[in-house]
Amino acid sequence: MPFLSHGSYQIRYELDGPADAPAYVLVNGLTQYSELWATYREALLARGFRVATFDLLGQGVSDKPALFISQDDHVAALHLLIGELGGGPIFLSGISFGGLIALRYAIEHGDRLVGLVPMSCFAELSPQLLLLGNALRTGLILGGTSYLQDLLLPMNLSDQWLKPLLDTLDSVKRQGWLVNDLYALQNLMESFLAFQPLTPRLSSIAVPTMILNGEFDFLTPRSLHETLRVEIPDSSLVIIPKAYHAFTLEKSALTADLLARFADDVLAGRWQGNRSVWIAPEEAGGELTPFPPGYDHLRAIPVRAALP
Amino acid sequence: MSRFLGPLDSEGRIPSHQQTRVAAFLVSAHGALARQYAMALPIRIEAAWQAELNAQFYRESEIVSLLQRATSWVPDIALGYMAATWETAWFPKPFEGVTNQPLALSIELATRAHAIHAGIRPAALLPVDANANDPFVLALRRIEFESGRLLQAQILFLKSESLVPFRDAVSTALERRHAEVRTLWAEALESVGIAIRRGNDRNP
Repeated sequence: MPFLSHGSYQIRYELDGPADAPAYVLVNGLTQYSELWATYREALLARGFRVATFDLLGQGVSDKPALFISQDDHVAALHLLIGELGGGPIFLSGISFGGLIALRYAIEHGDRLVGLVPMSCFAELSPQLLLLGNALRTGLILGGTSYLQDLLLPMNLSDQWLKPLLDTLDSVKRQGWLVNDLYALQNLMESFLAFQPLTPRLSSIAVPTMILNGEFDFLTPRSLHETLRVEIPDSSLVIIPKAYHAFTLEKSALTADLLARFADDVLAGRWQGNRSVWIAPEEAGGELTPFPPGYDHLRAIPVRAALP
Repeated sequence: MSRFLGPLDSEGRIPSHQQTRVAAFLVSAHGALARQYAMALPIRIEAAWQAELNAQFYRESEIVSLLQRATSWVPDIALGYMAATWETAWFPKPFEGVTNQPLALSIELATRAHAIHAGIRPAALLPVDANANDPFVLALRRIEFESGRLLQAQILFLKSESLVPFRDAVSTALERRHAEVRTLWAEALESVGIAIRRGNDRNP
């Protein structure tokens, strides 16, 4: 198990695939750990990519600072990892909190990337997200990691995914509960609640950017992704049908396929962002469909878009 | 070496020698905190933080009481030496970087309590099939849950505005305390066949 050194802290990472292949770096969400990318590792390796994952400071097997973690530390750790990858093309993707770290990396070190995929992401705390974040933090404090998991599972995953697991949810939660320490999660959440909005800096992201948003994402709804689409020049917004915030867990085959296709398009010079809006297929390998012209993609009901 | 307590008996209970060693360590750690809170607790509460101190004292005492009654104790020759080592480790240590002695003592106690509440996760040692109705299993779960709540007082104090000027010294002392406590905990567990990661190092 290899580690990177960031000051006195150690950051655990995994790196697989040929050294001369284009690389995908995947950044965890708040309560995740590196192993949760296993299906992506397998799928992307099979498509000819190199894959790097890591545990953020405070997560999994990486060190867990006792009192303070800053977002700067996460960006620095990510920079260390990307430094291990050599000079080949690098695609960066992150989910939720990890998407935020990926955005910050693209703003600060965009020259190291050829493509960016923020998923279930946000550049600022809307009042809803701020209040939800505070409530989740209170839930963690009062009820522990298990209660936080109890809140996040139904909020972020579909009935279809949850229903067959209802009788075994404790075993679903167990690994996350074992590897996450309450104080470290709390430190991570506090680093997230204290962050400065990135919106004014998004326009400096010059790399091709595919923004992925679940159709039914309640935690980070469409409007938060819309900010990314509007502000990042070479971007497209892709809506994942029937998906919630944690679609990377629920629809891993589809998402891995979208990641690979995006990278193939960028490397082949076919990518055109144009701040366009697309609907992803329901299964891996299907066609992406342009969002119907004339309708407002920010609404859940078919409402005609306002004329420009 | 295993990551979890066991092997369980036919009724899903933890072996008594493991219960004894784990409970002895936890009684020593939480008992030391209870004693020090008792020393610091005034007869009459006149400030809000003293109400929290009162709560912490009774919660720590409750943990000790629960373990005394829920553990299946067996004679353990090695405990004498080990307990002496643990008790020595809980002695207040000089806190460098703060000349105000009452404040330095408070920081020192808070770092120790933080390390014990955050770094020791007894419920994470329970195998999946441990009997949820066994008193010792229930006690470990309750202690881990209560520790998460007790920890909040230490987090609030150690992150408070009043300690901002001493942030580096506090963080350094806290990381050191975490390392000490986790090492003691890991050694206690290794002595009964349990291997855990020793916090922010790579062993085992």
